Amino acid sequence: MISNDTALMAHLLRRAGFGASRDELEGYIAMGYKGAVDALLNPTDPGNMPDDLIRRYHVEQSELRDLPGSAAYWMYRMISTACPMEEKIALFWHGLFATGYTKLNQARTQLNQVDMFRRSGLGSFEDLLLELSRDPAMIIWLDNNENHGDSINENYGRELLELFSMGIGNYSEDDIKECARAFTGWTLGNAEYMAIRAAKDSIWPYGRIAWHFDYREDDHDDGEKTFLGETGNFNGEDIIAIIVKQESTARFLATRLFQFFAADEVSKAGENAVEAMVATYFSSGYKISDMLQTLFLSDYFKSEEARFARVKGPVEMVVGAIRMAGNYQNPSLGIEKVSDNMFFMGQGLLRPPTVEGWHEGVEWIDSGALVERVNFVAKVLSDVKSPGVRSIIDWLEAGADDGVLNPSDLADGCLDLLGPIQVSDETRSVLVDYAARLGDLDLNGHQPGDQAEQRVGNMLRLVAATREYQLA
Amino acid sequence: MSTQIKSPGIVVDYVKTIGIVNNGFNGRGFANPYDIIVHNDSRIFILNRCDPARASAIRVGICTLDEEYLGEFGKGFGTGDGQFVWAVAMALDSQDRIFITDEHSNRVTIYNTDGEYISNWGNSGSGDGELNGPAGIAVDSSGNVFVVDQHNARVQKFTAEGQFIANWGSFGNGEGQFNLPWGAAMDSDDNIYIADWRNDRIQKFTNDGKFLAAFGSTGYGDGQFQRPTGVAVDPEGFIYVADWGNERVQILSADGSFQLILRGEATISKWASEYLASNLEEKAERDISNLIPELPAHLNTPYHISSQTEPYFWGPVSVSLDREGRLYVTETNRHRFQVYQKR
Repeated sequence: MISNDTALMAHLLRRAGFGASRDELEGYIAMGYKGAVDALLNPTDPGNMPDDLIRRYHVEQSELRDLPGSAAYWMYRMISTACPMEEKIALFWHGLFATGYTKLNQARTQLNQVDMFRRSGLGSFEDLLLELSRDPAMIIWLDNNENHGDSINENYGRELLELFSMGIGNYSEDDIKECARAFTGWTLGNAEYMAIRAAKDSIWPYGRIAWHFDYREDDHDDGEKTFLGETGNFNGEDIIAIIVKQESTARFLATRLFQFFAADEVSKAGENAVEAMVATYFSSGYKISDMLQTLFLSDYFKSEEARFARVKGPVEMVVGAIRMAGNYQNPSLGIEKVSDNMFFMGQGLLRPPTVEGWHEGVEWIDSGALVERVNFVAKVLSDVKSPGVRSIIDWLEAGADDGVLNPSDLADGCLDLLGPIQVSDETRSVLVDYAARLGDLDLNGHQPGDQAEQRVGNMLRLVAATREYQLA
Repeated sequence: MSTQIKSPGIVVDYVKTIGIVNNGFNGRGFANPYDIIVHNDSRIFILNRCDPARASAIRVGICTLDEEYLGEFGKGFGTGDGQFVWAVAMALDSQDRIFITDEHSNRVTIYNTDGEYISNWGNSGSGDGELNGPAGIAVDSSGNVFVVDQHNARVQKFTAEGQFIANWGSFGNGEGQFNLPWGAAMDSDDNIYIADWRNDRIQKFTNDGKFLAAFGSTGYGDGQFQRPTGVAVDPEGFIYVADWGNERVQILSADGSFQLILRGEATISKWASEYLASNLEEKAERDISNLIPELPAHLNTPYHISSQTEPYFWGPVSVSLDREGRLYVTETNRHRFQVYQKR
């Protein structure tokens, strides 16, 4: 029988992390639910695979010249972190403030942006928007290097308002122009040379040169501006201070956080949680971690309605399976091919399709992506040599009477230890029938990779192929 | 650019930069170079580790100090005879044989300096003579081959044919212990120096493994190291260290006292110059750019500084010497090497 504590904690860790092994889950349960929320939202030492080890064995992840190695570098971090919320919030902002390699050809700078999301992604939204506006990857992505005092380029100003803060319908075309004027002179060092190299995808003569922010006062329009009804000689900082005061900004941010961390759709009951997050936004001084604490502690989030109410994104799917299997804990040949799998499922790290990011929810699933998802996870979780699967076998053995599981025990045990995952009666009976073909499973004296262990691997493979496993 | 003590016992002058990123599968330029050896006939051999996208191009390139590209050899990526997966380091013996370690395949592959494959030896394991992650390699004046057996935390001594002679070391940070050791070098007395990578120090041993000294500690200061990868010793006993994590090279005196730091001062190589001459728009903007910029505080680590500052070393993984007193610093992330001359 799965306890409510276990099921609720697993739900929290699917949202604030990438799912959890039973050992991890037990650790969080010992903290209590509120204690676990606090721990997740206040990351300390992630204890992830250190950079020196990665760089020693993976020259491509030291240089970060190309996309596959760079995505793999971030994957290592997600796989090995003890602070999964830090990576999850970075992934959230990577989707919302989508910045793509295809235009930049500059992975090091993109990963610096991801570092910024880790550093500031749970802090003040005002600080985060300021960092975003100074982020050289974003500057090239939305052409702010072409936004000059005597000739504005509106791209960044427009998307800052439309896609990154207030949402369409809450500002005028004049506000966009004034916003753009305020961000003139916000560029990157050696902007012209770097822009040419990015456009040509030039790696010559000596590889990439990473980017850094540069403010050119002589290219900044310091004239009077009127923005959202306020007038002054605004610079970018002033514009952001006005943006974050808006009710529409609070609602936009609360809704996007809700859709990523709670449910793909905001139901009527979910509206209450969004309202509470809006109130927290203002009372906390725009603090993102406080908004998420409000969400995670809400009755809605803890309710049955919120469970399995999201389709797992490909990154969650792949990273979750690898963490569960305990693979790639050391630098390993071929890691970049794993990151390619996420791309084949529709979500290539560091290469969102457009400035709007990925279309999430049910749009993650089409027939091609579904096959990729099921095949990948089934393969990973059925490998009884991997440490995480070996741990599952140990848990099953410890919970069995005299080391013997009947078909129901085997199916229920695997569903429990991979989640717990709630499946329909029909799905469960398919799993039990499959297990019954070979009768009871005797794990006494099992040896690595033997037939008894392989039966567990086969059941895990089948669970990974269920509709329910696709959901978070 | 260098920093140094007031009266260093050694002076080195920057000479030139050789290299350009090679994005293809053969020809001029380098692909994540990992080590260099210089033959007495002045040919320079460069081991190209290559990234996964260009794995099949893994090879040894040959050029001269005058930047003439002479050719390359290798049999590509894999575990077949003459192939490599994760090639790490090279050593040259007096018979014109080049010994190349592969930390993934756990073996040493031998080519001659004409680029002909000769043989390989090494088996995976932790027993005497077995290898787990062979990294640095050095040959003494008698032709014995010393292999840094990183995951077994030891140094092993072999004949040139791979017959086991001796080994020493264990995991730890005490004298004669190692934590993921990497580079190796002999001095003129056949003592061996090991870059004890994760202990941030250089250890010196006699030819049969007796501990003599350890130099350095963890840190960013003079004489301190962050993950030293390579080491070389000149006839006067000066010790050159590839202080990889600090993105610099340090030179110590024979007793280990700090002498000077090299940060790198790359200029345009002959091949780079040819590239820029045919990409004039790029060259024009490059010429007016500041390639040694001031950086924001959050990017002020050696790695970030070097990623943004093209003249500095970035990934200085090995240091090599020739008999004319030249120092060659291999830069993995910049696909080039910088040459210095000892005065």
